[in-house]
Amino acid sequence: MFKGAFSIWGRDMLVLRRSIVSELVSVVAYPLTLYLAFGFGLKGYITAVNGVPYPLFIAPGLISMTAVNAAFDESSWSMWFHRRVQRTIEEYRVTPVTVYDIVIGKIFSGFSQGAVKGSVVFLVILALTPFRIDYTHLPSYLGCIALSSMTFSCLGTICGTVIDKPENIGRVQSVIIVPLIFMAGIFFPLSSYPSSILPLIELLPTTAIFEGARDALLTGAVPTHYLVNLVLSAAVSFAVAVYVFNRKMAE
Amino acid sequence: MSHAITLHEITKSYDGFTAVERFSLEVARGTVFGLLGPNGAGKTTLIKILTTLMRPTLGDAFVEGHSVLTAGKEVRRLIGVVPQENNLDRYLTARENLTLHARLHGMRPASYNPRIDELLEMTGLASRGNDFPDTFSGGMQRRLVVARALVHEPRVLFLDEPTTGLDPQSRRALWDYIRGLRHKMTVFLTTHYMDEADALCDRIMIMDHGECLADGTAAQLKDAYSRAHTYQVEFKRDAERYEGVLAGLSFVKGVEREGAVFQITLADEESIKPLMDHLAGADIRRICLKEPSLEDVFIALTGERVRE
Repeated sequence: MFKGAFSIWGRDMLVLRRSIVSELVSVVAYPLTLYLAFGFGLKGYITAVNGVPYPLFIAPGLISMTAVNAAFDESSWSMWFHRRVQRTIEEYRVTPVTVYDIVIGKIFSGFSQGAVKGSVVFLVILALTPFRIDYTHLPSYLGCIALSSMTFSCLGTICGTVIDKPENIGRVQSVIIVPLIFMAGIFFPLSSYPSSILPLIELLPTTAIFEGARDALLTGAVPTHYLVNLVLSAAVSFAVAVYVFNRKMAE
Repeated sequence: MSHAITLHEITKSYDGFTAVERFSLEVARGTVFGLLGPNGAGKTTLIKILTTLMRPTLGDAFVEGHSVLTAGKEVRRLIGVVPQENNLDRYLTARENLTLHARLHGMRPASYNPRIDELLEMTGLASRGNDFPDTFSGGMQRRLVVARALVHEPRVLFLDEPTTGLDPQSRRALWDYIRGLRHKMTVFLTTHYMDEADALCDRIMIMDHGECLADGTAAQLKDAYSRAHTYQVEFKRDAERYEGVLAGLSFVKGVEREGAVFQITLADEESIKPLMDHLAGADIRRICLKEPSLEDVFIALTGERVRE
């Protein structure tokens, strides 16, 4: 069962391994720049948020942002490229694997890329900055990253499946993904929002991703409502991604 | 069961357009079957249905007795597919492309490694196994796609226009591989090249607008459908004078002229004698029977109009 998914995932990991250095340099540069610019640049103006030093406040979100961005990028572009340009999806479909094998293999590739890249950014921030954590909190934080990467990998798979023009994938990232990430309080506390829209912001999956990750890393526990949001988002997006891919292949 | 492929009253419609209607076909095991037709004839639709990439609107198709509707996975286990466009993975080496295909077929390294060595050798790519397909010529990429389709030793091989875009040497090389497969497996081939069908196929079907127009061996089709009473006559001089004479003869069905060479289609075999009588005294350089080609049959059946 799912041997085909494992083979497809194995192919993607082989390709990642070949280009790991160049991939990681580009992946690490962006969040590290943000960390240095905001964490140190604004340190003199914002010393602490809710009692948490500002560099420590933004670090968990930046690591999670790297993971979810990597998961979305890998899934969306890889699915689009294999479907529209290289047409390798068609090659997979004339072998005994099922469409479920293909979509699950691709989702797990996105998830793995997110997890690997998020972990590397975490290690780099740890090595180059005074950012320190309680390591007993790590398992719950990694759990948050895993669920977040899964959700974004599924969203990427849906985009790569239904979108035919590559520029439209870029538009989805600019118009939906980036605002969802930045509205979720990576750089500022949610209490900054007017109370009228705060309940809506708290329902966003990205809020659960970044707030949940911060709570997990700083306190070792994820608030229940965020955990439910993370699990539900991952489960629903997974079901939708599998359904959409199956429908597309049946066309 | 002696048929490797059976199509039973297949209909495929999309958005009001019917690509194939109530199409039936049986292909004998171990033969090379060629499906010819102009663009839009329905060839690729049939291949997509047989390889489970597309479901028919009505009817069913069977590969080695397995239904494409209810046993798609079993069908895919038994088939190899060479698509119209190369769909090699450019981020994997030639060997890795074959390895991934073997893994997707559930093969183990102990069985696929020697098989891959054998196929790379057979296709002349043994020294390029660790190179990426982007560095290959078009002919080498095509040979690699064929090798990939053969890794799991399929019982039915589908080749969708396998030599389109190749230079003559690469085409001939690929023909040799395909000839080598005869009797080892059933080959289902679509092509635009009449010489290719003539050289490779045990049986040829010409289709258009989703319907079968002719079916048989190359020799049978040429015999039955070509203009068998066409003669070429080349005049040494006075060609203009004879153009009018020939066009006015009741037993001459068509005259095509290219300089001093006339292509004359007669009503029947007996018309050659009165033709010679009318040409008595003419200064003729050459007169010969024009041998029919498969292309003549194809054009006669599908027309000369260019398709979109």
